[in-house]
Parts: sequence; C-alpha cells; structure tokens
Amino acid sequence: MTAADESGAVRPVEAPADERSWLQRLLGRLPTVVWLTVMWVILWGDPSPGTILAGLLVASLGYSAARLPHLPVRLGFHPIAVLRLASRIGYDLFASSVRVAFHVLWRPERTRGAIVAVPMRTDSDFLLALVSGGLSLVTGSLVIELNRDQGVIYVHGIPVASPEAVEGLRRQVRRTEELIVRAFGNAEDIAEFERAEREYATTTRKETS
Amino acid sequence: MTHQVIDWIAVGCLLTGALLSFAAGVGLVRFPDLLSRMHTAAKPQVLGLILILIGIGLRMWPESHVGVLVLIALFQILTVPVAGHIAGRVAYRTGRVRHDLIAVDDLQAELEGDGGTR
Repeated sequence: MTAADESGAVRPVEAPADERSWLQRLLGRLPTVVWLTVMWVILWGDPSPGTILAGLLVASLGYSAARLPHLPVRLGFHPIAVLRLASRIGYDLFASSVRVAFHVLWRPERTRGAIVAVPMRTDSDFLLALVSGGLSLVTGSLVIELNRDQGVIYVHGIPVASPEAVEGLRRQVRRTEELIVRAFGNAEDIAEFERAEREYATTTRKETS
Repeated sequence: MTHQVIDWIAVGCLLTGALLSFAAGVGLVRFPDLLSRMHTAAKPQVLGLILILIGIGLRMWPESHVGVLVLIALFQILTVPVAGHIAGRVAYRTGRVRHDLIAVDDLQAELEGDGGTR
C-alpha cells in the first residue's frame, strides 16, 4: 500500500462492471466490425471473398486493439421522417451554398452576422450532436457554442441584416432540431420533445398576452 | 443517346461544383472575419465537392471505385461541421471576433454572466 492509497488522493476510477454476457458483447460489436469491413472492401474496390475475409480480420484486430468503450446507443429510426430530413438538409445545403456564394461575390465586407441563443427541446446527447452537425451544414448557420447543462445552442448566422432575419434564423434552428428529433429520436425522446414544445408554446403565449 | 445525356449531366455537376468551390476559395479571402469565413468553408465547399464527386462518379460509372467517392462525400459531411464548430468556438472565446460585424449577440451576455468559463 502506498501513501497515495492511504490519503485516498490517487485512486484509479473503476469502470462499471459490464453485466452483458460475452455473446451480447460480441453482437454489440458486430455492426462496427461490419461497417469497418464494408469500408475496407470499398477502399480496395474489389468485393472478392479474400478481400472481405482480410477486411473482417483487420477490422476485428483493430477494434480489439483500440479497446473502444461500449456506448449504449438509444436512437430510433423513422424512415419517412429521415427522408423528410434528408431532402430538407439537401435543399438547405444547396440554398445556403448559393446564398453564401452570392455574398462572397457581392460586397462581402458588408455582410453582417448574428449570434443567437436557441434553447433545445431535446436532452439526448446523440440527438444534440446530430443537431449541431446538421445545423452547420444548412442555411448560413454555424454552431459556435453548446451549453450542455441548460441545453442551449449558440448559432452564428449570415447574412443577418434585420430583426426579421434574426427571427428567421431562430425558426430555422428550431425546425432543423424538430426534423432531426423526429427522424432519429426514440419514443422517449419524441415524447420529451413534445412536452418541451407545449411548455414553450404556453410560455410564449403568456409573454405576448 | 443515354450516354450523351449522362455526360452532359456530369459536365453540369462538375462545372457547378467547380464554381462553388471557387466561390468558397474567394470567400476565404474576401470575408472580413473568421466566423464568416468558416461559413464559406462549411457550405459551398462541401456542396461543391459533392457535385464534383457526382460528376466524376457519373463518368466512371460501372467501375467499382465509385464507392470511394461515396466514402469521401460521407466523411466530408461528417467532419466539416465539427471543424467549423471548433474553429468558431475557439475564435469567439479568444476574442478574435469582430463585434461590429455581429448585429445580435446572445452569447456575449451568457459568457459575461458566468465570468467566462474557459
């Protein structure tokens, strides 16, 4: 026993025991290994049995060497909502690219932006990660800060010239969030989202009346 | 006949993609501050690259290396927003942002409120 042990200052943090059986653990890793193998085959550009076998081998070896932690991913998948999200993001990516490109050529030194705070209505880590990634791709917005405790996302948007444009940016962020939650949230996430949405609606109504 | 149509679509994609990538490059030079520059790096650049990849893919078609193009597009879409986010965040927190170019700033009040946790 060392001095550090006695004082309790240095003590290794023990990982929570994994209660899953080895078979469950193996099955949990399968999707990642399959995805790595698919990438391997694509990179070789040759779907022959030998390539697939070698890919499986390299993927399993790499995966076990990396000792990745097990993350319980609890996401849903709603095909129709995913299609709606994909088409919306595709359209927004196009529209915002053209808009940003236009401002590049037309008086870029006068382009003004705004940083708005938008409270998020979901509290799932995965969904928030998806939202902040998706937002940076669309409609002149760039996520620069995410307050995890309060669930507030800070988005920089260009071009913003008027108060209406600021409101438009807020609406855009909220719509993207809604689409992502409805596409990838599980039943719990969606229920929570709808509860937060109702709360928000009542508070804004009180404020306006 | 179909060959020709596909060729023309490919040409259209390549040209539009090149134009958008060009706009992204010019934007990096012409925009006045880092946050606006990150916008050009995040959007026209990604769409331009995707269009160029589509154009190449259409020309390459039955060849098996088309899958690589899909992977390139996928990883661009996954990584570019993260890079933009980190650059924007660091720029803001180290004060490399021109506040005269920001009409509304909700973040400033927040950071001053909690003493700017860095």
